[in-house]
Amino acid sequence: MIESLHAGSFFFHPALLFFIGACILPFLKGWVRNIFLIAVPLAALALVIFLGYGMHWQLHVAGLEITLGRVDRMALVFAHIFCVMAVIGSLYGMHLKENWQHVAAWGYVGSALGCTFAGDYLSLFLFWEGLMVTSVCLVWMRGTEESLKAGFRYVLVHTFGGLCLLCGIFVLYFKTGDITFGPMISGVPVAAWLIMIGFLLNAAVPPLHAWLPDAYGSATVVGSVFMCAYTTKTAVYTLARVFAGYDILIPLGVAMALYGVVYAVLENDTRRLLSYHIISQVGYMVAGVGIGTEMAINGACAHAYAHILYKSLLFMGVGSVIHVTGKSKFSELGGLWKYLPWTFVFTLIGGLSISAFPFFSGFISKSMVIAGAWNDHLNWAALLLTMASAGTFLHTGLKVPYFIWFNREEPLFEPPKKEAPWNMMAAMAIGSYFCIMLGCNPQFLYSMLPYPVDYHPYTATHIMESYQILLFTMFGFFLLLGKLKPKPLVGLDVDWFYRRGSTHFMNFCRNVPAAVDKNFMTTLHSTVALPLLRLCSKIASWHDTKVVDGFVDGMADNVLKLSRNLRFIAQPGSLSKYLAGMLTFLAATVLAAVALAIY
Amino acid sequence: MIVRFISWLRAHMLLVKGCSYAVLGGMIIGDLFIPRHHAHFIGDIIPGFWAAFGFIACVLIIIVSKWLGTAFLFRPDDYYEAAEAHKKASEGEMK
Repeated sequence: MIESLHAGSFFFHPALLFFIGACILPFLKGWVRNIFLIAVPLAALALVIFLGYGMHWQLHVAGLEITLGRVDRMALVFAHIFCVMAVIGSLYGMHLKENWQHVAAWGYVGSALGCTFAGDYLSLFLFWEGLMVTSVCLVWMRGTEESLKAGFRYVLVHTFGGLCLLCGIFVLYFKTGDITFGPMISGVPVAAWLIMIGFLLNAAVPPLHAWLPDAYGSATVVGSVFMCAYTTKTAVYTLARVFAGYDILIPLGVAMALYGVVYAVLENDTRRLLSYHIISQVGYMVAGVGIGTEMAINGACAHAYAHILYKSLLFMGVGSVIHVTGKSKFSELGGLWKYLPWTFVFTLIGGLSISAFPFFSGFISKSMVIAGAWNDHLNWAALLLTMASAGTFLHTGLKVPYFIWFNREEPLFEPPKKEAPWNMMAAMAIGSYFCIMLGCNPQFLYSMLPYPVDYHPYTATHIMESYQILLFTMFGFFLLLGKLKPKPLVGLDVDWFYRRGSTHFMNFCRNVPAAVDKNFMTTLHSTVALPLLRLCSKIASWHDTKVVDGFVDGMADNVLKLSRNLRFIAQPGSLSKYLAGMLTFLAATVLAAVALAIY
Repeated sequence: MIVRFISWLRAHMLLVKGCSYAVLGGMIIGDLFIPRHHAHFIGDIIPGFWAAFGFIACVLIIIVSKWLGTAFLFRPDDYYEAAEAHKKASEGEMK
């Protein structure tokens, strides 16, 4: 069915809908604006469903072939979920009075779609930077001093990644003359490394990941719902396009999956904890891309699809709590079950989905990646990824709901009177529907994947294995509950190097080179350098008076003597002597002429 | 509706705990009767392996992370803000 929909050659870039919509949106008000807010993403979704396969919108600029619309199965599965997410996110932010967050968010979605359909590195890079520019607005619109600083750090880190990518593209172009955005050609290692660093930074692979919890923890409530979906998944898409089967990505992905889990234990901020779990979940996708078999690539794409849905659901649930209570720290929350019960249910559905409970969306996608690892005989990777998934349930499935909604009899603050606005609840309900629908009907997702799927998640063994791991993780959680009590602490991460490290560097400069300059150099100047300079000047002045002056004076004396002698011969000063000289010269000339004529 | 259900569960904590332990036990007993066609790994053959794996993974993650945190990584909540305040104060002095 899907094949027949995409058989034609119809193409209109879905990103353009978002860009045009973002230009019109600021002028709309009231219900017209609310309808427009939902209509544009829905129209884009419809457009994605009817796009025809092939290369569209190709331009020739300065001898380069620019392709804005490459449509194939892999691009379509990402574009599909990007548009679904835009519908959910726009609905979630509908209560906002001002439009600017939506404008930034649509620019962001448009950029992500632009990357998805880009067929060459140049247009990819353009939209790649667009992602950064639009998403940093979502951080800054929070309007706090903390978000302002986090935004600047976000821009700096992403500028570094973008420049690595651009350098890689330049090297690739000069070596091969080709900028097609496709599987990496062998024999250009420098370009491959640079491009990979650019992609890995956006995929938040440690140690290039600290921007993610930093920015997503300080963005606006609606902004973080959008941000958790697009940047990292666009990076996964580009990795899958260019670096499928690169072995280095397997250990990197596994390390990511565990790194996020470890840091989630230490985290006290709700959205930062969820951010560390993005890193963990993207680890599965990166590992899947690294394994590179059809099954693993399918798994990476499927997991990206499912991940966007459940992670945005979690961010929406936690965002609603922040919206209603104004608190985001576990140590300040707790006891909300009586007051925000529906938000609890939706967040729990998100938590069960990310933990890969059978009949929820994570189960059908995460297990594909792990099965890909088993099939490729990468037992260590499969075991460590399974371990990370126990950690995921531990935090997102248990810690988040428990410490926000339970833990205390009553909240520490004035309990909220009612739940979040209806549009937020509706968006969460749609997200929950998708999470359960995908879990119960995996074919919906499997039929969209890049390669044909021969995988059945619902076998008795697999269900049994999952329930055993998850329920015994739950057992361990309640056994060690005392150890997990949130404390108002922060865990150091590699952002220390540019947050505190820079301060230490400045202190170092102030203390070491400045002190050396002040104490040592000043003494050196007065005791050694100045006397040395004085000695030099004395030698120079002696040389000047004795040697140079003597030479010049001698020259002058000689010139004077010569000119006096010369004047005695050449300028005697008497008319008869001049006349005699002229006549002598005339006679000599005549004699010479006569002699010449005779001869 | 949800609030009433949760209240009921909280009022019957013993029953909830009993049922949970029964489910955990049932998982291991049930594992004895599961067909094992596609064993990738020795763990797929031993009954109850994944239960032990889940439990050990959970305990390991909590203990190792907490140890890393208390040994190296934990700082007070206002760690970065305090540093900036200190920096501003010292800059003020210099002026």
